[in-house]
Amino acid sequence: MNGYVKRMSFQQFMELTTTLLSLLLVMAVDSTRTVAVSGSQQCGNSVQQTLKLTRLLKKESVDLIETYKASQGEMSEDLCNLSVNNIPDPNISGLEPSERIASIYTHLQAFLTHFKRVYEQQTDLQLPSNPLLAELTNVSTRSRNLASLINSFYQSLFPNLPMPEPAGGPTTLPPPQNVFQQKVYGCAVLKTHLEFLSNVYRELRTLKSKVCRGI
Amino acid sequence: MTQRLGVVLLLCCFTAAPPAAAGHDNYLVTAPHPEAVEIGSDFTATCMIIDTAEVTADDLYWNVSQATVPKEQYTKINRTALNVTIRVSGEEVEWLFCLCKKVSVNVVLNQGKFMHGILLRKGYRPRRPENLSCITLQEGSLFSPVITCSWVTGPQTKVCPTKFTLFLKVINHSAHNVSTVESSASVAMSIFPNYMELEIWVEAKNTLGTVESERLKREAEYFVKTNPPANIQIISEKSFPTSLLITWSPPIDKHYVTLKFEIRFCQNGSHEWTYVPHSDTAMDIQSFRLQKLLPDSVYVTQVRCKNLKDDQGYWSTWSTNATKRTPEDRPTGKPDLWKFVDSHDVGKRLVQFICKDPVLTNGRITRFKMKIGSQEWIIPVNHSEADGRSNHRRITSLKKVHLSDKKSLVYVTAVNSVGESAPALIVIPEKGRELGPVQQLRVGVQGGQMWLQWTPPNTGTVKEYVVQWLTGDVLDWQRENRSTRHTVIKGNLEKFVCYNVSVYPIYSGGTGQAATVQAFLEQSVPLSGPNVELTSKAGHTEAELQWKEIPQNHRRGFITNYTIFYQSGDKLHSVTVPSNTTSFTLTGLSGNTRYNTWISASTIAGSTKGNNHSFTTLRYATGEIEFIMAGASLGFLFVIVMTMVLCISKKDIIKRNFWPQIPNPGESTIGNWSPDQPSKAETPKQNCLSGISVLDMDMCDGKMVFDEDKTSLSLKKDKYLSEEHSSGIGGSSCMSSPRQSVSDSDEGGDLADTTASTVQYSSVVASNGYKGQTPSSQPQSAFFSRSESTQPLLDCEENPDILVQDGSRQSQRFLRRPAEEALEPKDFCPLEEDSELTLTDEQSGDWLPTAAASSYMPQLGGYRQQ
Repeated sequence: MNGYVKRMSFQQFMELTTTLLSLLLVMAVDSTRTVAVSGSQQCGNSVQQTLKLTRLLKKESVDLIETYKASQGEMSEDLCNLSVNNIPDPNISGLEPSERIASIYTHLQAFLTHFKRVYEQQTDLQLPSNPLLAELTNVSTRSRNLASLINSFYQSLFPNLPMPEPAGGPTTLPPPQNVFQQKVYGCAVLKTHLEFLSNVYRELRTLKSKVCRGI
Repeated sequence: MTQRLGVVLLLCCFTAAPPAAAGHDNYLVTAPHPEAVEIGSDFTATCMIIDTAEVTADDLYWNVSQATVPKEQYTKINRTALNVTIRVSGEEVEWLFCLCKKVSVNVVLNQGKFMHGILLRKGYRPRRPENLSCITLQEGSLFSPVITCSWVTGPQTKVCPTKFTLFLKVINHSAHNVSTVESSASVAMSIFPNYMELEIWVEAKNTLGTVESERLKREAEYFVKTNPPANIQIISEKSFPTSLLITWSPPIDKHYVTLKFEIRFCQNGSHEWTYVPHSDTAMDIQSFRLQKLLPDSVYVTQVRCKNLKDDQGYWSTWSTNATKRTPEDRPTGKPDLWKFVDSHDVGKRLVQFICKDPVLTNGRITRFKMKIGSQEWIIPVNHSEADGRSNHRRITSLKKVHLSDKKSLVYVTAVNSVGESAPALIVIPEKGRELGPVQQLRVGVQGGQMWLQWTPPNTGTVKEYVVQWLTGDVLDWQRENRSTRHTVIKGNLEKFVCYNVSVYPIYSGGTGQAATVQAFLEQSVPLSGPNVELTSKAGHTEAELQWKEIPQNHRRGFITNYTIFYQSGDKLHSVTVPSNTTSFTLTGLSGNTRYNTWISASTIAGSTKGNNHSFTTLRYATGEIEFIMAGASLGFLFVIVMTMVLCISKKDIIKRNFWPQIPNPGESTIGNWSPDQPSKAETPKQNCLSGISVLDMDMCDGKMVFDEDKTSLSLKKDKYLSEEHSSGIGGSSCMSSPRQSVSDSDEGGDLADTTASTVQYSSVVASNGYKGQTPSSQPQSAFFSRSESTQPLLDCEENPDILVQDGSRQSQRFLRRPAEEALEPKDFCPLEEDSELTLTDEQSGDWLPTAAASSYMPQLGGYRQQ
């Protein structure tokens, strides 16, 4: 009788222990999931903001190209169909997300330099009241904002990885150009920039699904 | 230890203090000299004596604004230093002076060197800016690059202002700041940093300290406020009479901000908005369909927007009104059918049917269809659109129908452009078979509304009640359900108007009998008072007044009473009579007095005076004059009768006095002494008496003869003269005083020639006209002459018995007067007796004919005198 009692007590102890362990395990899992959800939400918000800004920048770039074409006089459509060298590649390079995000950043920086040149050229070609100049400034500033968001996003994702410097060194600008070349150059920069933004938008959507879910 | 440290610090302060003491040879130096002192804090200052041993710290004292600081607040550091601690209060700038008592002449003479002051610029320590909020408005198709922020600040003084610096940092990008002393500031950027994270805070700083507000770390869209949605359009579709489709354009491209919307709408004229639930519009939409609207109703719609994220952005202002009418639909519900009986005739009832449009006409009612038995009428109506769509239910007179005494069922439907309503039914019960009315109907007014209360009738089961109110030609009604015992009239009742309020119980068998009361929503004083007038002429002490009731539309309340005012002079009397009185008799009035009267009609709200009416009471009461006249008449009659009786009874005496017996001269013995006389005397014999009589009247009554009579007299005189004139007897007897002798004129000479003997008479002629006699144009002088008559004296002069005969004869001789006149009693005028005047013959001749009524007595008297 006593032996039975002892056996029963031990059995009860084991059950209690199992229950407690199970509870602890559940709590641990839940805690981990909460942290993951929180990080994922933060990542998602950050990407979402970047996506929105990219979309806005795309929209403004489209408007800018229209304004640019309207401001260049006749043959503006033909001007924009010509290809130009020494313009950043619209494609995003790199295999890893960190590399691709860094590529976005460096491309943006490169485009900013070209935008500056285009602005200078168009300042000479257009009247100060021409909305093209204001739009160029806006898109340029907006690109800078996007670059800072990308940088921030990169640092939030890869805090221990410093943003790499551009692979090809400082951005190279085209040599002095005549007016026609300037017009062609400007349109090529804008169009390439727009194409690049489309790629960025796609990339960010991919990153959002890949990176933020993985956090 | 602490004290020593303080002293050291103070010495440092003195060293660093303005060189007021050293530069100006002051013997007192104060410290510290702060830029500002905090209001509400304790401030400690030290005064130190330098370069003199003439005074000590015990001789020092402190003043703040001319007031000496109590010694309890002093702390003596050593023999040459004195501390003071004061509580800084007030906002004005003050001086805190360290002064020295006048302990020596030198101190008195160099008072300026024995003082030093600290300027206390007071201020508040900056408070943390609270409620920081920032906003960016839409500018064109973008957001403005200017962000305006505002905050709540603490108090500050002019001498210690607080400077605020607004910091705006675009995270990982740029930073901006702007300073101000106001509680708001704007930061301008190159473009609005969409989708960037901003950090905004305010720093408040003054000489007393620095403090920062909380930091707003938000996305840029948190601060945006867009323009209201544009191009609001409402689409009305005929197939959806209860729906309107709203479309709009977002004020800004969705790439800048994703918006959500809010819609509100109301019926035109209403001020109560209905909000579409947020759950239906809190999304990026550009159209919305409003449902469950009323057909044929005008709706006003507005839309506004804000950032889709709940906690971000500000609501834009509401868009401009967009107005649209919903399509028409067939009338919902039934017309409200009612009736009133115009007249009852044997075998027929003339009933007027009226109805209100259905509650929801859903369009313009174009006609009503009315059906009684097999008879059907179409009553077209031509109401304006405004009528049909107003909230007031229009009343339409349908048809006046002669109904038989039997029970009748009347159906009415309302028709609009879309369709026909359900029929309304009213049952007119058999004549005389109407069921009983409600009991104990009471009406009152509360809160500007008229309420009714009743108890249900005992007869039958009531389906519903109809409350009807009627004033003049205006009739309206409302329906109440069967359980109602107390209700409020929902129509637009006017103040000061009398309403006949009736409650009809509606039975399944028809309309019951009405219970009716009169009521006012609010009473006022009557618009005009009653017009008072006299019923008839006012009496001596009473007057009956009458007036007409004030017209119903002028009463403006229930007349409680009339007050009659009547006033004579300063006395004002009043009488109050009940409201059902229209006449009243004023009594106790004064005779022959003018009264002013008016009537005031009173309601519970006051009185209104009617017109004034004046009347004068009679001097005599009714019949009084008649009574006096009758009395006077009777008195006069009595006098007449009495006189007649007296005359009859005293006939002899009167006769004797008025017609004395005159002796007949014919029978006088003197007739015998003139034999020629008879031939001349025969002719006037018939009138001898009258001739004599006339002569006497000349003297008695000639005074009263009027001038016109003299004409006739002169004619007669001529006549008389043609008859050889009278003798001096006649003339003297009348004209002269009886006491004097009578002398005839020269004409008498002729007579004397005819007489056998001549008697000399004396004649007295008055120098002046006789009293009452017309004065002669010829100058007259009094003289006395002796008659040349030779006529012998009558026997009667010696013997009175024959006097009559003699006179008679003279009459016969000279005057041809009717015999009856000659028989009149002659009385001698006493006045003549007194007079001593004697007329000449000529004068006497003038007066002779007028003396018809004279008595013969003067002559007789005259004779007596002679």
